[in-house]
Amino acid sequence: MRRTDSPRLVAYAGLAAVGLMTGLVAGRVELVALAAPFALAAALGASLTRQPHVTGTLTLDRERALEGDGVLASLELTGTDGAARVDVLLPLPDELTTTGDGNPVALPADVERLELTLRCVRWGAFRVGPAIVRARDALGFHTWESAVGVTQPLRVYPSVETMRALLEPLETQVYIGNQVARTRGDGIEFADIREWTPGDRLRRVNWRASARRGDLWVNEQHPERNTDIVLFLDTFSDVSLGPRGTLDLTVRAAASLAHRYLQRKDRVGVVSFGGFLSWLLPASGTRQLYRIVDSLLQMGIVLSFAAKNIDVLPPRTLPPRALVLALTPLLDARSTAALVALRARGFDLVVVEISPLPFVEPQRDELSELSYRLWSLSRDAQRDQYERAGIPIVPWTEGEALDAVIEEVRTYRRHARPARA
Amino acid sequence: MAAYGGVLAWSCLLAPKFTPVTLFLGGVGALLLVLVIVRGLDDLLGSSLLLLGACYVVALFIGRHPLDEAAPLVGGALLLCSELATWSLEERHAVAASRALRLARARAVGLLVFAGLGAGALVLVAANTSVGGGLVWAVLGAGAAVLAVAIAARLAVSR
Repeated sequence: MRRTDSPRLVAYAGLAAVGLMTGLVAGRVELVALAAPFALAAALGASLTRQPHVTGTLTLDRERALEGDGVLASLELTGTDGAARVDVLLPLPDELTTTGDGNPVALPADVERLELTLRCVRWGAFRVGPAIVRARDALGFHTWESAVGVTQPLRVYPSVETMRALLEPLETQVYIGNQVARTRGDGIEFADIREWTPGDRLRRVNWRASARRGDLWVNEQHPERNTDIVLFLDTFSDVSLGPRGTLDLTVRAAASLAHRYLQRKDRVGVVSFGGFLSWLLPASGTRQLYRIVDSLLQMGIVLSFAAKNIDVLPPRTLPPRALVLALTPLLDARSTAALVALRARGFDLVVVEISPLPFVEPQRDELSELSYRLWSLSRDAQRDQYERAGIPIVPWTEGEALDAVIEEVRTYRRHARPARA
Repeated sequence: MAAYGGVLAWSCLLAPKFTPVTLFLGGVGALLLVLVIVRGLDDLLGSSLLLLGACYVVALFIGRHPLDEAAPLVGGALLLCSELATWSLEERHAVAASRALRLARARAVGLLVFAGLGAGALVLVAANTSVGGGLVWAVLGAGAAVLAVAIAARLAVSR
């Protein structure tokens, strides 16, 4: 433990020395009497001190939490003998707060356990601890400071938005899922009837149609299949105002979409397309949900001016017949070019525009207004590029339900289909 | 501040002719103490106490009293002033301390001040008791003074 002596201990000893010397030289006992309390305080401070050896363990009741949850942090302290008071500070990032005014807190030395409830204000991957412990003697002449406990990881997941409907890809995959395929095969949903052919099972015969037509006819169904969804996140740049920003909205939307699609037994993959390229291959299940959310928590903006196109992505990240759901703030033309190239390769693509406008406060001067207008025009130009390529693009602003955005795209897709050569 | 004012008033009473000088020195010291408490300038605490101590010493020498029996009280008051000012400075930090901790600190400060008063009074009593004098006591006094200087130097170096 690092020991620090109070400056007044030196001052007391100095005052006592000056008093004693002056008293001796001048022959006045009052000066010695005046110095005696200070001499006593300095002597007590120097001699009656016993160094504590504070150690302890820091634990969190869980490693994962949701936004708004409370996480219990426990600090077990030992070796506080010799201290009269122990101050404890648990350094926390801005996204975590403690309830009440318990951090930092002063404890009597006989308290061996401290419990703090951490409130998770915002999503993120954090490291909690070690705690800073400062032990003091009764009069505060000496303090001993050390870090106690081992750093504990804490992942706070973004809260998931409730969504009633999802976008359905135009084509399904081959595995069993909840999505009614457009193709015909074994399933529940009725598709059509056709003439019986050798090999058809008897239970598929539509007796009413057969009786009417005088020949054997069988029912055909749409099979239930899974779909592949790729969440394409544009992370070239970010516009933020305090803790809120386009990246924050992107992560929230991606987490909600991944959660809902995986609930439907679909396979979901993530591509983070920005200064730093990362991806997760499509897969299904709860483990994939954790993988996705963990990767979203690590997501950040890495500034890069390197030219990037869609060829830098490994082919398996974008499986054929997958629905690519792009979340972009329309701030970088490189992502627009990449997405238009994806569309040209025949991918089923939908773009959700994460609007940066709520996070931009244009200045009042003429130059700022002009630059703001130019910036708006460049965003309009990017939006126009998408529309000309037949890509549905829907703006999403903070506070708006994601359901409304999805419904808008569904309406668009009811009337528009990708052209096939 | 009450302890500070008490010592200042007593210094003025000791040498009434030099009250303006005492008041000036003490006033500057009091101003420094106010700065310490209000603005948290803890470096000025030593200067403030030193000025008050100087006021008392000057009044003591100029007043030409044979013996001031209130010297232990003055020493205790100075120590109390210093301890309370330091405590006040520590309370400025946003560490929530319980009532029990505050009571324990008050008890410790009280004990220290009373022990200091006792030590001062003991010095006065010992000085007034006729147990002989001369070289032995002078050597003892010089030794104590040297020891105090050595402790102060040691503490200053260890910081």
